[in-house]
Amino acid sequence: MTVPALALSLLLAFSGFSALALSLERHHRAVFRSPVPRSRRGGLRAVGSAGLALSFAAAVACAGWSFGPVQWVGSLTGSALAVVGLIAYRPTWLRTAALAALPLAALTLPLALPG
Amino acid sequence: MSRPKGFRQSMAWLHTWSGLVVGWVLFAVFVTGTASYYRSEISRWMRPELTDSAFDPAATATHAGAFLQTTMPNAMAWSIRLPSTKDPEVEVYWWRNPGGPYHHALLDPATGEPAKVRDTQGGDFLYRFHFELNLPPIWGRWIVSACAMILLIALISGIVTHRRIFVDFFTFRRDRSAQRGWLDAHNVAGVLALPFHLMIVYTGLVTLSSMLMPWAEMTAYRGELLRYYAEAGITIPGRPPAGRPGEALPLGEIVTRAIAAQGQTPELVVVSNPGDAAATVNTYFEEPPGLAHLHPQIAYDASTGAEIGRVGEAGPATRTGAVMVGIHEAHFAAAPLRLLFFLCGFLGAATVASGLVLWTVARTPKGADPEGVGLRLVRLLNLGTIGGLPAGLAAYFLANRLLPVDLPGRADWEVRTFFIAWVAAALAAALSRRNRAWPLALAIPGIAFLAIPVVDAVTVGEARFLGFDAAMALLGGLLLVGARLASRRRQVQQRAETILHRTAQA
Repeated sequence: MTVPALALSLLLAFSGFSALALSLERHHRAVFRSPVPRSRRGGLRAVGSAGLALSFAAAVACAGWSFGPVQWVGSLTGSALAVVGLIAYRPTWLRTAALAALPLAALTLPLALPG
Repeated sequence: MSRPKGFRQSMAWLHTWSGLVVGWVLFAVFVTGTASYYRSEISRWMRPELTDSAFDPAATATHAGAFLQTTMPNAMAWSIRLPSTKDPEVEVYWWRNPGGPYHHALLDPATGEPAKVRDTQGGDFLYRFHFELNLPPIWGRWIVSACAMILLIALISGIVTHRRIFVDFFTFRRDRSAQRGWLDAHNVAGVLALPFHLMIVYTGLVTLSSMLMPWAEMTAYRGELLRYYAEAGITIPGRPPAGRPGEALPLGEIVTRAIAAQGQTPELVVVSNPGDAAATVNTYFEEPPGLAHLHPQIAYDASTGAEIGRVGEAGPATRTGAVMVGIHEAHFAAAPLRLLFFLCGFLGAATVASGLVLWTVARTPKGADPEGVGLRLVRLLNLGTIGGLPAGLAAYFLANRLLPVDLPGRADWEVRTFFIAWVAAALAAALSRRNRAWPLALAIPGIAFLAIPVVDAVTVGEARFLGFDAAMALLGGLLLVGARLASRRRQVQQRAETILHRTAQA
């Protein structure tokens, strides 16, 4: 349960939640000032769910089956709070932050995995 | 309190009223419980005289045994907590009767003499307040348990009430009406940490389950709880005293054997019936890595040093219970994860507080209508709890640094300061003008928390407390931001009312 392992779960969940938020009409409007195109909604949802699933996989791979799920649930709360905060106070930053989280997650990956 | 129609309305009614009646107690339980994730850090800060030093476990145990031998040779039991990386002192308890009184001292690991340290309860006060409210334990635990059960009802009925739990998952409309903003805040704080909230209430009840639901053990073991604990793999069966005096080995000798047997230093050494020929020494080890809160134990004969038992493999039910208690306390969580537990606890307190505020905001009369008695009472209790408790906390820490070190009954005075400051801050907010009450209620604890690093720098001033001081400054800053937001909202509201008034006149 090192800092990189937790950061990895947090970053992946953050990207996932951002995509899920952008698939919702109200938040897409706040971020892009336009309604969410019907064609993009499904894609955003799929990416969002994949982000949360990857976050779970990362937590279990780094921390094992007993601590991993606990760490994942904590990461969900922490990252969702960040998404809510950005949408409420700096909506235009959300897209950049969500995209920047992915390379950061890739950077923490080698530090996070045990052994 | 109109009668609700339909299932969801009934649940909304239940959520509103069940949350209201226990809200104030629960706010205090959440705040002190969240602080308890940093219980040992708080204790370290409040005992600045203690520093880490290498210690020899065997010699330390022998010293502590000698201290207890002179203090109370005919005790029922002695308990010795050896120093660890978390707590650098030797903490001893001794008692003659199972019901207490329990005597307590901190010893210097090197000499076994009482440590030269200021008298304080440290983080233990907040930890015990979390489930006993500083009342007689049995009363406090029942009250907290009853509130927790009602909170469980409020949580479930709240989930049912929240129709748009997924669509509004990320929604916080801070630029709309006050009621909309508070409802969103309540929903976001409640939903984002919902797994934590459900877990913490349920497992909290599990920690007190043998008090709340003792019937299974009572029926199956006919009240012989010690036999139940032994069979469930929780404790080692005890031995009755032989009734004749015995010669005990130095405790250090037994600790050496325990280290050899388990490969690690025990955390806790408990001597039952010291001085008796059948005296027993129980050694308790740190929980092995895992979620469960189960300590390995080995018992020794105090006179011969022979091993007389170990806890067996715990059964599935015991393990399940231990995992629940383990997740509640989160001892397994290293610093980063503990921060997330802290954040979740903070969101729990925020959910309760925003729910209480929402209750009053939703019922504030429009225009110049007078405020009813009920609304006034809830508003004052909200001010006194949400502003007063943090003020008490800050005062507790400040008292630790400012009270004279040799004041008699010093630890009690720290606790008294906590309550005096709480009541004083609550009164100040209650007596101030209505539009100033919230800014004042939040500014008082804000300033008090900001004063902590300053006072610490002047009185103790050690670099190892910088982290704690920074956290206090951060809390103070957050409270002041809250005070500023509260005063700005009032101004906006007043301005809007004036404009409306003028328009109406024109």
